[in-house]
Amino acid sequence: MRIRPVRIDQVIPSIVERDAVSHHALEAQRVLRSMGFVSEIYACTMARELTGRVHPLVELPRERGGHQWVCYQASIGSPAADSVASHPGLKLVNYHNISPAELVDRWMPFLGEEVRLGRKQLLELAPLTELAVAVSEFNRVDLEQAGYRNTTVAPLMFDTANFDHPPDTRTVDRLAAVRAKGGHDWLFVGQMLPHKAHQDVIKALACARRLFDPQARLHLIGRESCAAYLEALRRYVAALGLTDAVEFAGSVSPGGLSAYYTAADVLVCCSDHEGFCAPLLEAMHHRLPVVAYGAAAVPETVLDAGIVLPSKSPVLVATAVQRVLSDRRLRDELVRAGLERSRAFTLDGARRAFAQAIEQVLQAD
Amino acid sequence: MTFEVIGEISEQAKQLLATGEVPAGLEDELDACFEEVAQASLATAGGPGSTGGPGSAGPSRTPSGGSKGTGGSPAARLSQLSTRVTMLARRRLGPALRGLERRSDLSAARAGEAAATQAHVAVDHLERLVARSPLASRALSAARPGGATASGADGIDPTIEGPLLEWVLDRLSGAGSPEQVREGQGLVLHAECGDGRIIEELAARGLDARGADPRRSARAAGDTIIVAAGALEYLGATPSDTLDGLLLTGVVDRLRPGAARALAQLAAGRLASGGVVVLVSARPEAAASVDPVVADLAPGRPLHPVTWCHLLARYGLSELAVFEPDASEPDIFAVSARRRVSVFTSANDSP
Repeated sequence: MRIRPVRIDQVIPSIVERDAVSHHALEAQRVLRSMGFVSEIYACTMARELTGRVHPLVELPRERGGHQWVCYQASIGSPAADSVASHPGLKLVNYHNISPAELVDRWMPFLGEEVRLGRKQLLELAPLTELAVAVSEFNRVDLEQAGYRNTTVAPLMFDTANFDHPPDTRTVDRLAAVRAKGGHDWLFVGQMLPHKAHQDVIKALACARRLFDPQARLHLIGRESCAAYLEALRRYVAALGLTDAVEFAGSVSPGGLSAYYTAADVLVCCSDHEGFCAPLLEAMHHRLPVVAYGAAAVPETVLDAGIVLPSKSPVLVATAVQRVLSDRRLRDELVRAGLERSRAFTLDGARRAFAQAIEQVLQAD
Repeated sequence: MTFEVIGEISEQAKQLLATGEVPAGLEDELDACFEEVAQASLATAGGPGSTGGPGSAGPSRTPSGGSKGTGGSPAARLSQLSTRVTMLARRRLGPALRGLERRSDLSAARAGEAAATQAHVAVDHLERLVARSPLASRALSAARPGGATASGADGIDPTIEGPLLEWVLDRLSGAGSPEQVREGQGLVLHAECGDGRIIEELAARGLDARGADPRRSARAAGDTIIVAAGALEYLGATPSDTLDGLLLTGVVDRLRPGAARALAQLAAGRLASGGVVVLVSARPEAAASVDPVVADLAPGRPLHPVTWCHLLARYGLSELAVFEPDASEPDIFAVSARRRVSVFTSANDSP
């Protein structure tokens, strides 16, 4: 058995509020502290609101003699990974997947470089890492392919209680007024980044309005992280004559998000790459059926609790949405299965899995 | 079920395409249209995917229905120029402004923390003075269960003996540079030293050991010096970077809310480079098990070892270690931490 360290610190490239990986790191800190370790988070960049809870990376202690372990939250290339690689303590990697560079290169060349660097750093950390914890089986396989010998899965830590924010009444009223005009409401939740492929949801909406539901609407929720991509989406919507049918809501409050989930009829996801995709579960939690393109970890997250499509041909996606909205029996079955699936991901369960992963390293000879 | 449904959906989509209900080439048109606006948007943003140079034709379809490529009306050019200037300013000045904002937040936070620490030092001083007044002391005893006071005037000498005492002495004997210890120059303070027994042990190991205790008048006992002062009060009056060792006992068992942070900050600030702080404390569970009413209503309470580690680490100390005696002493623990050795040497140290 190993010497029990006094502290297990986390290193993360950047940490902000309302971000799945950041929230996971804060939960991991709670788990580590509850296990009796001193545990701080060190980040290259941090949101102002987190000042005091998170420390700048330069302050990361570098203790020898087995007193300190470091856990790296890997999701992108960053100097933080180099700090971890050169750290004298035992190393753990918590992997959230790194998007392929080719999906973002065109729109955000600097992001393309960062993800390329992230992939390189992931390979470099492999021989130095004692245990790599992936948030999905898809990610675990990715780690194995990157050369990690010892891997395990511990789901993303997010509090499903956060899904139950009371819906913002003003948003509810506004959406109800729009719904009164007729037509169904589609929803997609995710940062405005190219690999989320918002344009493919818009294409499907255009087909659906032409074929089945002339008054269908789409609400796009998520932080606007790429100005050029957002501009292209806005122009696309205008060019297709969908300005009144597509809402770019940006980042919304938790209550606002609850209102959208409550008001929508279906969540449609055409992402080209997702390491986990928490909004799928959030939609299921809100009794919202899911239609998604089966890329990366999406099939693993949804399982049989949603319609996972083999391609994202706009006609296919539009047909799937129409079937879900018009087949009452199918819709009820998807809502039931979705609720069951979302309940499988409890915060307590994810915390236990993370704690077990740490114990696994402590018990190792 | 969903597997079968997906098959049916795929079949239905194929039929829509085959029967012409979906106009031929609709999907290709949708793709082409996005490609067009993508190129236009990248050109406007000056992105690398841009294929349009100065004077090239813009997209045929735009939100306004007109051309907004790199060519266009003077108003459109002005608008593009304004966007570019804004983006450039954000890119160039953004990090500097954010850095400035962070630094000002940090300075404000540090000033607030320093003020809070000084407030705790002043309260410690006042409490000791009040506790020395028989009238005030009686009033406090009546008001507080078990006669507990925050100043430690009625505190109990810590039971530090056996392996725990050895561990504490070993840690403190390694305080300061090896040369200092060899020459008996390491200055070690024991805050709330009681009768000075541990000071004598430290002095026997060649250290310049001194003590502070709020229950005593200043006195000299042989080679040891004990000053009448509370831990916060004494540390507040001690210059920075002067102590090679610091032992905290008693005070750590009954800290006022917020005082633990102040004590950790003072301890870290008063230690010289390479200096060691050791604290010996009762376990919170033990304090509660004696008399829950007294424990709950007491003005202060002991903290968990992990909390001390967190606080000491927060103020820059490293090499954290926790000593938990065996079953014979289940109610007590010790934590030690060291201030990192500075890599800079003073001008006097230069060869």
